[in-house]
Amino acid sequence: MDPEGATTSAPASIEMSRVDGSTLVVRLGGAWRLADDLPPASTVERELARETAATVRLDASAIADWDSGLVVFVFGLLEGCRSRGIAVEHPALPGALERMLALVQIPALPPAPPPPRGGWLDRLGRRALAWREKLRAASLFMGETTIALSRMVLGRARFRGQDLGLLLEGAGPSALPIVALVNFLVGIILAFVGITQLRRFGAEYYVADIVGIAVVRDMAALITAIVLAGRSGAAYAAQLATMKVTQEVDALRTLGISPVEFLVVPRVVALTLMMPFLVLFADLMGVLGGAAVGTTMMSQALASYLRQTSHSVTTGDMIGGLVKAATYGALVALTGTARGLAAERSSEQVGVAATQAVVTGIVAIITACGIFQYVFFLFGW
Amino acid sequence: MNVTEAILGVRDLTMAFGDRVVMEHLDLAIEPGEIYVVMGGSGCGKSTLLRHMLGLQEPASGEVFYGSESFTRALPPDRERMLRRVGVLYQGSALWTSMTLAENVALPLQQFTKLRPGRIREVVELKLALVGLHGFEEYYPWELSGGMQKRAGLARAIALDPEILFIDEPSASLDPPTGRRLDRLILEIRDALHTTVVVVTHDVASILGIATRALFLDGESRRSIAEGSPAELRDHGPEAVRAFFAGGILP
Repeated sequence: MDPEGATTSAPASIEMSRVDGSTLVVRLGGAWRLADDLPPASTVERELARETAATVRLDASAIADWDSGLVVFVFGLLEGCRSRGIAVEHPALPGALERMLALVQIPALPPAPPPPRGGWLDRLGRRALAWREKLRAASLFMGETTIALSRMVLGRARFRGQDLGLLLEGAGPSALPIVALVNFLVGIILAFVGITQLRRFGAEYYVADIVGIAVVRDMAALITAIVLAGRSGAAYAAQLATMKVTQEVDALRTLGISPVEFLVVPRVVALTLMMPFLVLFADLMGVLGGAAVGTTMMSQALASYLRQTSHSVTTGDMIGGLVKAATYGALVALTGTARGLAAERSSEQVGVAATQAVVTGIVAIITACGIFQYVFFLFGW
Repeated sequence: MNVTEAILGVRDLTMAFGDRVVMEHLDLAIEPGEIYVVMGGSGCGKSTLLRHMLGLQEPASGEVFYGSESFTRALPPDRERMLRRVGVLYQGSALWTSMTLAENVALPLQQFTKLRPGRIREVVELKLALVGLHGFEEYYPWELSGGMQKRAGLARAIALDPEILFIDEPSASLDPPTGRRLDRLILEIRDALHTTVVVVTHDVASILGIATRALFLDGESRRSIAEGSPAELRDHGPEAVRAFFAGGILP
């Protein structure tokens, strides 16, 4: 800021002296800039605490240069004196500084305090209430989704066919490379573990059976679902949470279009339909991964390895795997969209929704996998 | 005024999105202490010009100057140094929602000064008090009204005592009285801080209320077609500009 009455650019200084026994004269000098180490207003307050005064006279005529740093000091000094009932005279303050001080608005009554963010008990209570609200929202979401899916089956759900097409493409063909890579590697890992253990019994040639059954019955569906939870589930959550922030979801509601029908149903349909196809592809890649190990470590012919796999894997194994795939797909889509629609209206919540979608999706997949194992075991499938 | 003598200027600037040219051969020079308004209809390139001045978008051709220094040709560290002299109030306030108002205003001070936490706190309180938000330090942005968010954005923009303050659509999404209060605040802050203010707006009341000089961008011809004081432009400007002020429909 332009200096007024500038004479030097020495560091900021305060000199205090007493006049007539009742007036404290505070002389400010030098450059008062934020970037410098400025004396605090408490310097004057300490002097007043040592020996009070009826009046404080502020002399700023020796100030060379200043910015908000000086305003902070003067403002603090005025506030300190006001609270002590001490009058302040400031006859020669720079004009711009006077205008800034005039701008500072201290309301006579303080505004209502912000919502309490309290102690641990308070936080615990709030968390419990938030959980209850989340459970209620989840129930509501499941109910709305069930109704929306029923309407879709009846051909009455409102969503755009082209959106579904794009979602099918995004959930299926676009995911092929990562699904292929991960499942191929899982096949390799299973084959290594299998050979290492089976060799102890001289049964390493059964590795094709182990890998084939493990991949087709469970691992391909499980691994593909986890990949999609990180890929499509997180993307769905982020998309929908962003749409909430930008009020696109509100726009749908006010048009009388259910966001669940328009946004959730096509995503659930896309992932549920695409997952079995992805898992068929993942089955092939997993078996090939096992074959890569079997043919190199045991010098088994590829045709022989594949024949052995086809003998060990039943149609029931494959159908079971595909049923699991469709279920996992639906779970990933449901958790992703639920987290997205539950997000609050802030950009931070978009990230939170995406993270929660992945975590919740994986937990849901593993839980469903456990239930499937138990049911399949009970029925001897 | 020569572009290179102004506090901020652009010379022969052409702005484009790929092949689509938004504005061509734009020249302007802003004097220190001015409130310079860039106005025009929706989509004419006002906010795009602001983005060019801030380096958020690169010109198709031409240059932006801060003082005599070319911002367009400057290396990233020099650009950072030049941008340290500016504050920006975005159209939607752009407050960081995960931070309280105090944290929003404190962040530039923490990043670009060596002030102690206690002093930062004092500066933050002062800046918020300057915009009438004393006592709201611990509020989150989403706990405030749109007008208060705008004022908090202004407090953050002036945290480092900028030489140039950019404001994008100050009255957007505010009711007229709140918009006028914000206009008054901008005038007062310019007077108090001696800041040069560059405002992008299509709000006629705001233009007439605060501008010392205004530039009219015409989206149809993709040129600036008039520059002068708002009263001059309203009364004696080209027909399109007078129609804009009258709120009429262009012929």
